[in-house]
Amino acid sequence: MAWPDLFHRGALLSRLSHHHVAVFLLTFFSYSLLHASRKTFSNVKVSISKQWTPTALNRSVEPVEIWSRNHLFPGAEEATLFLGTLDTLFLFSYAVGLFISGIVGDRLNLRCVLSFGMCSSALVVFVFGTVTEWLHFYNKWLYCCLWIVNGLLQSTGWPCVVAVMGNWFGKAGRGVVFGLWSACASVGNILGACLASSVLQYGYEYAFLVTAAVQFAGGIVIFFGLLVSPEEIGLPGIEAEENFEEDSHRPLISGAENEDEYEANYSIQEGSTVTPIQAISFHQACCLPGVIPYSLAYACLKLVNYSFFFWLPFYLSNNFGWKEAEADKLSIWYDVGGIIGGTLQGFISDVLQKRAPVLALSLLLAIVSLVGYSRSPNDKSINALLMAVTGFFIGGPSNMISSAISADLGRQELIQGSSEALATVTGIVDGTGSIGAAVGQYLVSLIQDNLGWMWVFYFFILMTSCTVLFISPLIVRETCSLVQRRQARVLSE
Amino acid sequence: MSPRGPCSPSIPLPWAAALLLALGVERDLAQPEICVHCPGSVRNLSEVASYCKHTPELKLRARCCLNQEGAILGLDLQNCSLKDPGPNFSQAHTAVIIDLQANPLKDDLANAFRGFTQLQTLILPQDVNCPGGINAWNVVTSYPNYQTCQGQRDFCNSTGDTEICPENGSCVPDGPGLLQCICVDGFHGYKCMRQGSFSLLMFFGILGSTTLSISILLWGTQRRKAKAS
Repeated sequence: MAWPDLFHRGALLSRLSHHHVAVFLLTFFSYSLLHASRKTFSNVKVSISKQWTPTALNRSVEPVEIWSRNHLFPGAEEATLFLGTLDTLFLFSYAVGLFISGIVGDRLNLRCVLSFGMCSSALVVFVFGTVTEWLHFYNKWLYCCLWIVNGLLQSTGWPCVVAVMGNWFGKAGRGVVFGLWSACASVGNILGACLASSVLQYGYEYAFLVTAAVQFAGGIVIFFGLLVSPEEIGLPGIEAEENFEEDSHRPLISGAENEDEYEANYSIQEGSTVTPIQAISFHQACCLPGVIPYSLAYACLKLVNYSFFFWLPFYLSNNFGWKEAEADKLSIWYDVGGIIGGTLQGFISDVLQKRAPVLALSLLLAIVSLVGYSRSPNDKSINALLMAVTGFFIGGPSNMISSAISADLGRQELIQGSSEALATVTGIVDGTGSIGAAVGQYLVSLIQDNLGWMWVFYFFILMTSCTVLFISPLIVRETCSLVQRRQARVLSE
Repeated sequence: MSPRGPCSPSIPLPWAAALLLALGVERDLAQPEICVHCPGSVRNLSEVASYCKHTPELKLRARCCLNQEGAILGLDLQNCSLKDPGPNFSQAHTAVIIDLQANPLKDDLANAFRGFTQLQTLILPQDVNCPGGINAWNVVTSYPNYQTCQGQRDFCNSTGDTEICPENGSCVPDGPGLLQCICVDGFHGYKCMRQGSFSLLMFFGILGSTTLSISILLWGTQRRKAKAS
């Protein structure tokens, strides 16, 4: 069965126009920039908490204007706590924002929503980090409000970019294209770290200024350069192209089994095919087959994945006593594993034309690798290797659910051609995931404080198992159809 | 209101400050307020007078000994009924010699001498301790009616503590027994955390032109043929 696929892939590559390349790069970098500004915040935390507090010495240091003018917090500990609160607020408002902006994105022009989101969130970041510092106006409530607004505005990014990518890249090559593309978050992290560290010496406000200005510029470029879908310039859409293909290239998530349930929906939309494209409601999007199981699964998986992002450097320096800068560097290997995992598993799922079995296998191996990682010896290279393996099996599926599978779900045949659901569905999946991640941040610190790191890993294993549990119906169904297809092929030969 | 000695001119402090600004040009002709803080002039036989006459460029004006630029090098406020040095006292921060004997001073002068880094001889009433304590001076001598504090020590070196200042701060003496932490070369801002200055013009110049060219390029190649939706 590999032959027709390879043949098909060649055809796919030849069909890629310069528009595809431009869309890939534009969406990739627009999300990278959004992620970069988030990373900036975590990289300047030390400088910010220094700026907000007086000098921590038991005697007074003269002159007071230089050393103890600012008294927003009495000490670094309180400031760190407040910064943690800002992170949590951001994650929750981001999660809520994802549900809303997906719906908005499907109803308005994706390009305008994305461009607006980038520019406005850049302005908020600019006010948060730069204006308050220039005016020497430090106020806790202002910071909280600005960061909540920033979370809401930032959330426009992901649903829009996934929707645009879903419009341009068909199901056939989606796994591998999206796997590669979902490296954008990691690239954004690296970009943010580089931007922040290169200007941090001038003052933390310039780190915010630079990332905000670059993000604003990105928003302008998106406005002038992004094509939301092939139809915009009169090219055939991907559905039209896929209709010419052999029936083995049916959509990956088949709603056939559920057709009775959704018949009412389907016929309503069928009736309105003549009218211009109409967005589906939030409720309809939730009822699409696969949306709820994948959302819940992603909530558990993103919890584990984000906990690794946030806590890995801390765990390494806490558990093994390694230096913070070294731990930061080492934790990149988790990202590397995630990128490779996402691309490779996306490729395999393209070949199989089923995603759930690949996910299931990867998640089962993830449990094994988590057990392995929790028993990692105090050796940096072995730890890095185990970390990359864990990233491969956890980051990989996580990237796949949030991008390729979201796009599959939003473009499944039940709603094909008759409605715009991509952004809404992506918003639901990623929003549920972000809620999981936000809760997870709190739970991990709680478990670590009371029970120790070993229990954190048990918690991760439990959550990964839950992920498998939530998508088990899909696994069973897709595995069955795989087996059936193979049998049919064997019989026909 | 800040407490003032009976000899002080009876204009309120804000007025004095305003006057100081308004008469800024004429001020180098007129004496600083602290020199006329109390009537009379430098006593002929006082230490300040002998210091002043020792160097030919210096001249005596009211209670002060001024150099050619008008900076106070000596101040003789003996017998002025001062309870505290008063708000104008910091004008004399360049002084090398100060005489405060025969005043009913209260014994908390430490902060009055902040910034008096040149001070080498201080004459105080008998019952008043040298500011900064005896460790801040090389020689402290008591006489029946007064005492002298001589030779200010560098407090940055004498504490023995190597880390007096926070990161990026360097210790400089700031008067008897006092020190301050100023930013080391190249650093500035709150807690001396900032280094160099960011070129906003260059950054926005480069970013703006890059954005413009990429936007034009992409508009030309991508969106020009797009249908208005």
